[in-house]
Amino acid sequence: MKKANLGSLRRRFTSLLTALTFTVLAVTGVIAFVRPFSIHIIGLHALIGFLFIALVGVHVVNNIRPLKGYLHSRSVWVSLVITLLLAILFFRQPGPVKSILGLSANIGPAMDRFELSDSEMTFHYTPAGSYKMKLTVKTGAAYRIDNPPAAAVWLENQGGYHIKSLLVPEAAMISRLPYWNFKRKGWEKAKREAEKKAGVDIISEATPNGSFDPADYILPASKDNPMPYQLLIEIDQPDDGQPSLVYSVEVDNSDPRAFQLLDLVGYPKRENDSGDKETWALYYVDDQFSSALELINSALLTIERQDPPDAQKKSGTPKSSAFQKL
Amino acid sequence: MTKKDNPTDRRDFLQQSILGSAGAGLVIASTSHVAAAASTDSSEPELINEVDVLVVGGGTAGTIAAIQAGRAGANTLLLERNAQLGGTMTTGGVAFPGLFDAWGQQVIAGIGWELVKECVELDGGEFPNFAKVPQRHWHNQVHINQFLYALLAEEKCEQAGVEIAYYEFPQSVEKTDTGWQVECAGFGTRRRILCKQIIDCTGGAEVVGLMGLDRLREDERQPGSFLFKMDTAHNPAENQLHRLYVHGADSTNSRTVTKANLTGRKAILAKVRNAKQRLMHLQPETGFRESYRIVGEIMITVNDYTSGRVFDDAVAYAFYPVDLHTKSGVKPKPLKPGTVPTIPLRALVPKGSQNVIVAGRCVCSDRLANSGLRVQASCMAMGQAAGAAAALAAKTGSTPLQVPLASIHGVLRENAAIIPETSAV
Repeated sequence: MKKANLGSLRRRFTSLLTALTFTVLAVTGVIAFVRPFSIHIIGLHALIGFLFIALVGVHVVNNIRPLKGYLHSRSVWVSLVITLLLAILFFRQPGPVKSILGLSANIGPAMDRFELSDSEMTFHYTPAGSYKMKLTVKTGAAYRIDNPPAAAVWLENQGGYHIKSLLVPEAAMISRLPYWNFKRKGWEKAKREAEKKAGVDIISEATPNGSFDPADYILPASKDNPMPYQLLIEIDQPDDGQPSLVYSVEVDNSDPRAFQLLDLVGYPKRENDSGDKETWALYYVDDQFSSALELINSALLTIERQDPPDAQKKSGTPKSSAFQKL
Repeated sequence: MTKKDNPTDRRDFLQQSILGSAGAGLVIASTSHVAAAASTDSSEPELINEVDVLVVGGGTAGTIAAIQAGRAGANTLLLERNAQLGGTMTTGGVAFPGLFDAWGQQVIAGIGWELVKECVELDGGEFPNFAKVPQRHWHNQVHINQFLYALLAEEKCEQAGVEIAYYEFPQSVEKTDTGWQVECAGFGTRRRILCKQIIDCTGGAEVVGLMGLDRLREDERQPGSFLFKMDTAHNPAENQLHRLYVHGADSTNSRTVTKANLTGRKAILAKVRNAKQRLMHLQPETGFRESYRIVGEIMITVNDYTSGRVFDDAVAYAFYPVDLHTKSGVKPKPLKPGTVPTIPLRALVPKGSQNVIVAGRCVCSDRLANSGLRVQASCMAMGQAAGAAAALAAKTGSTPLQVPLASIHGVLRENAAIIPETSAV
């Protein structure tokens, strides 16, 4: 029997390695999309990606002759145009693309950007073009860049119900942030029950404390009936022997402010549970805290509000109502 | 040995004879110490009292003011136009006083807290955990049994030597060389009271109005609340009553109170008919939020309130969001973390007055500050401060503002009050 021509050892090795690294890249890409942010998955995805690029380079050199043949075919132009169009579409992310990204447990919550530097963390959330939120958290003296604290950022309605997570911690850190986890689980359960009970329509029902659509709370649909909401941060430094701390600020669209500092609220403690229901409540900070109080230097929420288009027509020029107020 | 076995206890014997087997009554206390006037002229009062301190209004603030004045050694008489003490808490049914705490610490204690605590303990109730961050400000209100509170308030007054006169209200107030002469009327009763000091705890500063001193009033008032319960039985201190807004409710006089009550009851009757449910509980009177406020020696502004200004003559803390009720409801504006407003003695003293002090929601304040100051724990703290100041003024023959602040603080501390640290003391 004649042996199959698998090429040189180098070629075989490169092809297999390229295929396998591509598999890892694809699997971690899917996991990164469907699961909450994980530094392990993202790190693996990025590093394997670099290796994959190098292997693709070798693979191209190995197969330069057939590849040159592709360049002379008509389909190369069609492929280039399709790729270019998709790249522009995915980069600009219009509504439908955003909706798909919103399904991601990783990109969804942080879709509006999360930036981290040595001295601060910045979160951007833009529920509408006329309503841009930015949270700037300046790190404190106890913040360790080599071992950063676990953190979650989320919004709650007036009734204290979770309405949206802006920053979801990586899976391994969730237990360090019990208050956010408790609130999020309550929201997920309520959402499931509502869906089961009344169908999907209830999700967008704009009733006070009854809606699961964050926009109903965040965006001031009616000036006569604004619904204040809260932005909260829970932060915890592992191994410091101190519980997590929760900071918050109330946003009231009937009293628009461009800049608001978050205040330290307290720390979570598990309540005496009734049955299998786990309950957490916040307690005022006591003398068990030391370095944990130095994790955050300040947390500033900036909201840039633009008047709705009809109001702009009346006033002539578009203005930021928040800045007018100041 | 049982009481029955003790033949020497004549009082017990008499009492048990009257009580009967069910033990459902008490011997009416003697009123022989009230001097009956000799004159039979119908324009003359039937009774004349000479006291150190007259407290008008036995509501949230007045009860505490009277107990404090009595404990400070003043011969004290407490006038109440209704049938029981407690006012908004008992007659109004708002039986969840607050707020005694702020940011994890108790900021109001004293006689008000003593009464509330005793009430909760006797009722087997529970206290909110002040170390816990409340999701909403009202989570740290203390739920009490309103009926028990009324009984305990009477007992505390009696223990402090305070005499209570129900169903009476001042008709006129005149200055005398040593204080005031107050003509009062109740059904079948005309009483003249000669007193050194008056504490006006009527809510709307009605006595200050009778004196002709300046008062403030808004063109419109926050709605009152009529409390009731439909469908299920009322379980005091355990569940909340239903609330019906009575718009335009005005506590200025018997006519406006009558109007508010008629309006409220009519609306509740309509609700009962519409809902086709049983009416299980109905308070006897509308709870009023706003009427007159005094023009005091100083006004607490909303900026003072929301910034937690510590006045030099602060006598108590207050704590509650800015809480202005309107026709469309209420959107409380919480205070910034760490902020605890204070109440100066001067805000309790009508401008240019002598020998009179107020306590309660008529404290001199602008409307927004008043919307936070008017709540029960703060009113109790004001009541205790006014009681101490009036008793000391009566004792020293001075007026409340002339009493050294340190002396007032001393009396308040003896009765477990929490006092802001001021630079003036």
